[in-house]
Amino acid sequence: MTQAATTTARDFGRVLAQRERRFAAALLAPAFLALMATTTFPLFFLIWTSAFRMDLAMPFTNGFVGFENYSVLLADERFWTSLVVSLVYTVSTVVLQVVIGLALALLVMDMKRGQGLFRLIAILPVVLSPAVVGMIWRTFMLAPEFGIVDFLAINAGLGSKNWLGDPLLAMISVIVIHTWQWTPFAFMVLLASLASLPEDIYEAARLDRATAWQRFRRITLPLLRPAIVMVIIMRTMVALTAFAAIFTVTGGGPGTATEILNLYAYRKSFTELSIGYGSALAVALLIVTILISAILFAMRRAK
Amino acid sequence: MQSFKPTRRTFLKTGTAAAALIGFGPAVLRGAAAQEADLAPYKSAKIDWQQASGETITVAVIPASYFENLITLAPQFKTLTGIDVRFEKIPPAQIRQKCVIDLTSKTGTYATHAADPMYYSLYAANKWVEPLDGYLKDKSLTDDAWFKFDDIIPAWRAADSIDGKLYGVPYDGEVTIQVYRKDLYDAKGLKPADTLEAYVANAAALNNPNDRIWGAALRGVAGAGQNMYIYPSIFREFGGEWFKGGKLTVNGPEAEAALAWYVDLMRKYAPTAAANWNWPDIADAFSQGTVANYIDAHSSASVVNNPEKSKVIGKVAYARWPKGPSGKRVTSIWNWGFPINAALPEKRKKATWLFIQWAASAETQARTAHRFAGPTKRSGVNRTSIWKDADYVKLMNGFGSNFVEATMQALQEDTDVDWRPRVPQWPAIGDTMATAIQSALSGQATVKAALDDAQKRIEPMMRG
Repeated sequence: MTQAATTTARDFGRVLAQRERRFAAALLAPAFLALMATTTFPLFFLIWTSAFRMDLAMPFTNGFVGFENYSVLLADERFWTSLVVSLVYTVSTVVLQVVIGLALALLVMDMKRGQGLFRLIAILPVVLSPAVVGMIWRTFMLAPEFGIVDFLAINAGLGSKNWLGDPLLAMISVIVIHTWQWTPFAFMVLLASLASLPEDIYEAARLDRATAWQRFRRITLPLLRPAIVMVIIMRTMVALTAFAAIFTVTGGGPGTATEILNLYAYRKSFTELSIGYGSALAVALLIVTILISAILFAMRRAK
Repeated sequence: MQSFKPTRRTFLKTGTAAAALIGFGPAVLRGAAAQEADLAPYKSAKIDWQQASGETITVAVIPASYFENLITLAPQFKTLTGIDVRFEKIPPAQIRQKCVIDLTSKTGTYATHAADPMYYSLYAANKWVEPLDGYLKDKSLTDDAWFKFDDIIPAWRAADSIDGKLYGVPYDGEVTIQVYRKDLYDAKGLKPADTLEAYVANAAALNNPNDRIWGAALRGVAGAGQNMYIYPSIFREFGGEWFKGGKLTVNGPEAEAALAWYVDLMRKYAPTAAANWNWPDIADAFSQGTVANYIDAHSSASVVNNPEKSKVIGKVAYARWPKGPSGKRVTSIWNWGFPINAALPEKRKKATWLFIQWAASAETQARTAHRFAGPTKRSGVNRTSIWKDADYVKLMNGFGSNFVEATMQALQEDTDVDWRPRVPQWPAIGDTMATAIQSALSGQATVKAALDDAQKRIEPMMRG
């Protein structure tokens, strides 16, 4: 009797658990399906497309080509150039963002008054659309003879420069624009972490007569490390796949001086209408992004 | 006996009807009378305008005054045909891609769109758009005696045809000509250049950056429709041939000479910023009096004559392209034409054709140009007869001296079928060349290296 009762109770429990799972699945299904339809399926479709020659200009040549797009890609000089441009762009913008963001955060931490206002102003660029930022920089700031930056350069005795028409200056310009827009993000994250650091360690350090530099090197940096690494990871992924700002400011020009990999894939697909090869380029970018993120995540876990 | 009990619904119905009658009745009647007279010129065509009544079509156009004027006339078209037209305005930079995506996916979103003539090869190769000769010949669809297709400017008709088959009907077009400051030229005793050499000499004579006057400006920004809209004229004037022995060739001595001329002119006598300029930027700078001469679309005359912005009104004059070393003057062949999307159901194709016929007809062209009530009149009408119409010529000559003559001569004598390579691969070729031209201009590559690289990239595109 008691045994029978416990069995039923156990069965009942199992049924309940099963129902619970089913209910959970039903709740999850819409989101899961939406996610599959909007991210996973297009991703696999992209990889699938990259195995085809799909050339809208020559529809009669279309068909399955396997890995041909990839072998062409490996021999494509412009692919490698754009990859290098992407890496230069990513490394320089991320380093600048972290360094400037950290410096600003340290500075603002010691501000007695006006911290809130400073934070508010600092966050403004982040909420702007990169395309709008691009247009503003392109027309108001960098236009030779007419732009604000050029005006300052002329008055500083540097003379008028063709900021977006010279290959090196154009690259510097797009790096500065990205850094200008996204440093506040690094600044906000690092400021929040700084504020949460325990005060007693610093007090102990001061009692031991540690210099400011020593306190920064030995205490602040190690404690901030997780936050810094997180900022680096997030900003790297975004910088690798940046598009809108460069597209509006230089369109990858002059020539191909600021043509990042993303832009090259876009041009191949939508301007030159070679959808298959463009997809292969996009997959290559995906692989590069995953690899770099994996390395960064591994670094984060190490130690 | 049944008493009348007003329900909520009947009450609303009667009320609305009464209100409509009181409020809008007279206006509707007046409108109908006016429209009857408005439509008379169209009704003289011996076709049934109402044959596709009830259809709805979407037309993609660019946000430009010549299309805005057409949009204001759309209610007349609706009354004439019973067809609803929805216009979607897409900026020129995106319209090609958007329409190509619509055409490849065969969704038939845009029944017709303002098409780049360089894209008809691509459209025809994929059978994305209908050949239009059948529509022209069909007596139930087109009254040729009324439509007078042959009156449409021949160069534009040719530009919208592939292998003798028509794929688009020109609506509005342009040619490139010299636009110059007559006052500055007169002050130095200069004449508008007749050769490319003289053009550089004029630019040198007038270039004075310290006084904020630059000698010349050409489109510098990269794009198949930007720097690759101007360079092909120079290339052809230097004797360049796109197809040498059947093979598309973009490098070689003529190409190098042409590109070197362009780079030299732009570096020495154009504002530095012009490297990133498209035509509106050039026209703006000219309006502000900082550029003495530019070669660009004749339609930019309306910008440099805009009384709200321009400081040079009354000082502007026009001339044809200077001759190149080959002795040729080569202007652009450009028009926005309307094709018919092949993915449409039959009846909607007919509705689209009726729209195209209406928009390209002499009557609509006149109503959107010199007979348009609004402030901006069109300068790119598609009809030879209108270009000879005294009212239109008078209106156009308000843009400055020699405007109509230069434009008409350029249209009739300086157009060149081989101005740009008309192949399905054009989007890729145009973009590659645009990048090469800009690399050379910015000094990223030498003229020769840029062109050789472009050739290397273009060859695999042409292989099947």
